[in-house]
Amino acid sequence: MRRVLTALALCSLACATPSGEGASLAARKSAAGASDMMVVTNRPNNLHLVDLGARKVERTCALPGHASPATLALSPDNGIAYVLGGPLGGNVWGVRLADCALVFRAAQSQGNERVATPGGIAVSPDGKQLYLHQAPVKLFLDHYEVQDTRIAVYDTSAGDGAQPLRTFAAPRQVTIMKTSADGTLFLAGPDIFAMNPATGETRVALQSRAPKDDVLGPRDILTVWNIGESSNELVRMFTAPRWKPGAVGDMAQAELVWGYERVDLATGIASDAVLAPVQVGLFTGMSRPGRPDQFYATLTQVQRFDVPNQRIEKSIDLEHSYYALDFGSDGSTFYLTGTFNDIAIYDADTLTKLGNITLPGGDMATGVPKIFRREAR
Amino acid sequence: MKHLKPLNAKAAQTSAAAEAGTLQEVVAMQTVAGCSATTDPGWEVDAFGGLGGLCQPMEADLYGCADPCWWPAQVPDIANSYPDWAKGADSAGRDWRKLGPTFPDDK
Repeated sequence: MRRVLTALALCSLACATPSGEGASLAARKSAAGASDMMVVTNRPNNLHLVDLGARKVERTCALPGHASPATLALSPDNGIAYVLGGPLGGNVWGVRLADCALVFRAAQSQGNERVATPGGIAVSPDGKQLYLHQAPVKLFLDHYEVQDTRIAVYDTSAGDGAQPLRTFAAPRQVTIMKTSADGTLFLAGPDIFAMNPATGETRVALQSRAPKDDVLGPRDILTVWNIGESSNELVRMFTAPRWKPGAVGDMAQAELVWGYERVDLATGIASDAVLAPVQVGLFTGMSRPGRPDQFYATLTQVQRFDVPNQRIEKSIDLEHSYYALDFGSDGSTFYLTGTFNDIAIYDADTLTKLGNITLPGGDMATGVPKIFRREAR
Repeated sequence: MKHLKPLNAKAAQTSAAAEAGTLQEVVAMQTVAGCSATTDPGWEVDAFGGLGGLCQPMEADLYGCADPCWWPAQVPDIANSYPDWAKGADSAGRDWRKLGPTFPDDK
């Protein structure tokens, strides 16, 4: 943690980013036709490609069924969205965003083995392989038998009826995954694990569960939304008791604090940091692109944290709760998604609302947004 | 376990496993085959003992919790037993009146 804070201090406020509505407009409309795009699902079975610059839904694809948990992974060229479909992520659909063609489909459950994937989906950096964290259960006449969890590797060109190329033993309770530039597969579960998807060799990249110092107690972590593309990170927030000096383990004197764990997907370096004392409940948060000294999080409020100084810099109340906060590519604008069917757009400097994009259809629920930059065509 | 008395065969087996020192062979489910095995208590209080920290309004959270079996006691098991419970009610905030109770088919 000290290493992280030092790095953040070195960044200082010189890590400039465009600011305000003017900058947002510039970002939205720069390079004639270039735009930030979002892929997200909602009920009953919609997959939307949203032009965030134009603030309109560009295309809506019909999925084969209800998307749940609707966690997404995009191909490296952002041309194909891989979606975890219901029930419980047992189905995986690969949809080509240009024409809504279903180019990949895997039914993970086979025979009497029912497989769930509550969010663990990732694509290799070359786009050739799809990784799924499988939680299998064998269904017998009078009982269920829980099987070992595993990573299943699929060939993304396998088309309909895809079967795993290979599987590896994997830790339990993994709910989100991402790949780093060198191809390492990071799994966020009780700890954050790093797996070589060619061999299955796995190591702990960041220890979350076991106490490791006399500063913080056990962490409580909600790991559901694999956001963070604009900062090229795997990120999740935690709460933990911060012990009063000399009173380690004394909950009565401890202070509950927010913090985050992240993996820099360019370097593969895992780190964590304390943000500030807990004031409100938050579900997701991420680093502001280009500003590692700022961290934004949401549920029924949006809070901007001053990371080096461990304080809440600014906080606003929202019109309703949103599960996910995700930044546009230049960090000047962030987008709130999940729960109902509107995407709320906010200026990252002033935290003022810039507008909404209403999706046709119903609730996004746990649908995870993916934002990418589409260059002029 | 000495203060607990098993009331059915399953509980007796569990009790025997504990006495035999083999309780670790009971594998906790990570992801459930049905919502009934989920242990989350459901609609809850927030971390401060109140309601202000929960999703607002409640309907905003309904499908986000029902789809992954987060609220097993409060809504039907739409992952298994009642997949069509929310059919035609795509917006919880607008369509909540369409979400009714369910009953087993054989009753």
